[in-house]
Amino acid sequence: MSESTSTNTPKPSSSVKLVLLGEAAVGKSSLVLRFVNNDFQENKEPTIGAAFLTQKCSLPTRTIKFEIWDTAGQERFASLAPMYYRNAQAALVVYDVTKPSSLTKAKHWVAELQRQASPGIVIALVGNKLDLTNDGNEASGEPQADGEQQPPAATADGDDAAGEPQEEQDATPGDARKVSTREASSYADEEGLLFFETSAKTGVNVVEVFTAIANAIPESSLKSGRGAGAGTGQTTLGGGRPAEDSRVNLGDRSTATAKEGCAC
Amino acid sequence: MEPLAETPWDVTISGTGLAQSLLALALSRSGKKVLHVDQNSYYGGSEAAFSLQEAQEWASKVNGDPEHYPFEDATVYLPEGTPQLPTRSYTVTLSPHLIYSKSRLLPTLVASKVYRQLEFQAVGSWWIHRPSGVDGTSVLYRVPGSREDVFADDIISVKSKRTLMRFLRHIGKPPPDNDSEAEEENLAMSLPEYLTSKFQVPAELHEPLLSLSLSQASPGQTSAEYAVPRIKRHLASIGVFGPGFGSLLAKWGGGSEISQVGCRALAVGGGVYVLNAGVESIYNLHQSDNGDDMRVQLHLSNDETIKTKFLVGSNWDLPGQGRPACDKVARSITVVSSALESLFPVTAEGGPIPAGAVVVFPGSSFDQSDDLPPVYLLVHSSETGECPPGQCVVYGSVSHAGAGGQSLIESAVHRLLQTNAEPDAKVLWSLRYTQLGLSSNGANAHSSKFEGPSSNILCFPPPSLDLGFDDALIDRVKEVWKSVMGDEANEQEFMNFEEREHADDDD
Repeated sequence: MSESTSTNTPKPSSSVKLVLLGEAAVGKSSLVLRFVNNDFQENKEPTIGAAFLTQKCSLPTRTIKFEIWDTAGQERFASLAPMYYRNAQAALVVYDVTKPSSLTKAKHWVAELQRQASPGIVIALVGNKLDLTNDGNEASGEPQADGEQQPPAATADGDDAAGEPQEEQDATPGDARKVSTREASSYADEEGLLFFETSAKTGVNVVEVFTAIANAIPESSLKSGRGAGAGTGQTTLGGGRPAEDSRVNLGDRSTATAKEGCAC
Repeated sequence: MEPLAETPWDVTISGTGLAQSLLALALSRSGKKVLHVDQNSYYGGSEAAFSLQEAQEWASKVNGDPEHYPFEDATVYLPEGTPQLPTRSYTVTLSPHLIYSKSRLLPTLVASKVYRQLEFQAVGSWWIHRPSGVDGTSVLYRVPGSREDVFADDIISVKSKRTLMRFLRHIGKPPPDNDSEAEEENLAMSLPEYLTSKFQVPAELHEPLLSLSLSQASPGQTSAEYAVPRIKRHLASIGVFGPGFGSLLAKWGGGSEISQVGCRALAVGGGVYVLNAGVESIYNLHQSDNGDDMRVQLHLSNDETIKTKFLVGSNWDLPGQGRPACDKVARSITVVSSALESLFPVTAEGGPIPAGAVVVFPGSSFDQSDDLPPVYLLVHSSETGECPPGQCVVYGSVSHAGAGGQSLIESAVHRLLQTNAEPDAKVLWSLRYTQLGLSSNGANAHSSKFEGPSSNILCFPPPSLDLGFDDALIDRVKEVWKSVMGDEANEQEFMNFEEREHADDDD
């Protein structure tokens, strides 16, 4: 019955609202621009205030369209975040691997998301600026299995101590890394976050982050939409009622009256 | 980023309710330096949406600080023995309004390019409580909302159908081109008198027709002048965006979502947002105090002091504005443990599955002697994203504030569950409150002019208590926009924007 209503859609496509959080200057906008530019050559939009970008991510069974909210420039007030993370299905919490204080800030964001955002939100912790470290040219990001549960307090008072080398990392000349992979990845493990180290500059791991997020979004949440249902919520009602069936398309029909040019 | 104090702000908007947020949207491409603040820690003001936990906190604030909220007497009711609900699985909204397809809000959202960030769903059926079936039980009866519905209806007698069709045909006629020719129809009577005297519509159809007008007054108190254009609007809206429905709701919390989209648009356009920062005091600067035209100095509750050319807010977001004359209604938000599926049938072939339904309990159905106003229940299914599957959120409203009104709503919800839900269905959670604003058919409805102590402090009138989105809000936003833009205001450019990016819109 419901089959008859579906027209020729090649692959199911779902929108995923993703918010980008993190301290100023960790490279949030660059990450997104790198991701978006990979498929979209022309991006000419300079970022002022906040930004809204979209990008598709094609998985074997479906297409995920990310709606990405970037809070660029307004971190100081932390006032855009509540608006963005309501109903968000995914969050990218970014820190800078050369700046320990940015991981502290990232942990605050993770805690806030866990307290306030939709249950079941997929959170990825991303250490950016890998190009400034000696690992810069290797693909990084595999979590280290032997995490010895080091308390993540190392950065508490280290914000301004710029030259302090991080203990377990080989601080070879030219390596600006101040946050070890192990520290961040064991924290991510504890909190159940996806974890990657990236370079927006070289592109290392950028697409991988978004693909991993796309794969981690539970199928049920795609069907019933953003952040719906309690974690386990198996739909009793969902069976005969795919969510798309309730959607009313405003763009299509109001084009004529609203001088809308390009909702094709 | 430089401190707030060092920026010469063109406009400071206080509060993130729907009016202020639509203004934010209107100013999002203006190039003006806009600071948008809110005393609250959340967006949406009197149109906000909350998790259950947040709703509880909101209720405490409303009761503790009546100066700052157009609400009173907010209480959360938890039935005994109800298990702890997963609070963040809910998004209950203070603005569940339905939006008619013909509302100017929709083309405005399209022309301003923000509609893609919203998801709209259909409000399908209007149901009205009928006093008694054959066996004395009460039933809900689906109000025929179109001629097709009237034909298909098997409850109305043939004779009544004929009168009803005559009425529907009459109001479906396009307005005459020439005003002078139009014979002035006499609408200076109550709706029942009008229906009876002009069309011999039988009394049993008066309440159903009244419900299509969303009138919150009893039939005898509702003028034909008020109701007839609104019934017209209902009928004319059907089919605009698809077969079988004429009104919409915004997924994820109604007006709250629209507010947030407006604020995002301004943030993208460079506006600066600060929550937890209300305007505490206003000091008018004289031209001589400073060389430029910064005319207002504000002290914010986060202890910053800023200067701005214009200040815009509402009576509840600006200090020292006094309280305007307001109407009061009783409202409640109730989570029930039933999907109430029978309320959401697909209303026409090829139409979407409705996510909303309107259920009306006429005042006369309450077995009380008074001429009571009707109780409206706007029922949202879990498709709206407001609750988990298998449940519904029921938004009750009656223009009878206080305990009396609350008990009418409670009784209506109870009867709704009795007639349309599984036997074990029950209320899981409820928030009850009084809301202040302007009733669309109340005495204060037309006192909507701007008041402010000076020409650069602009105050929006109290929010509308209409159950449908009130298009007058767009006019008010436009007036403020014009004041703020001054000579630069070009009406064609109001809310009419180019695409910001190459949005891929193939879905």
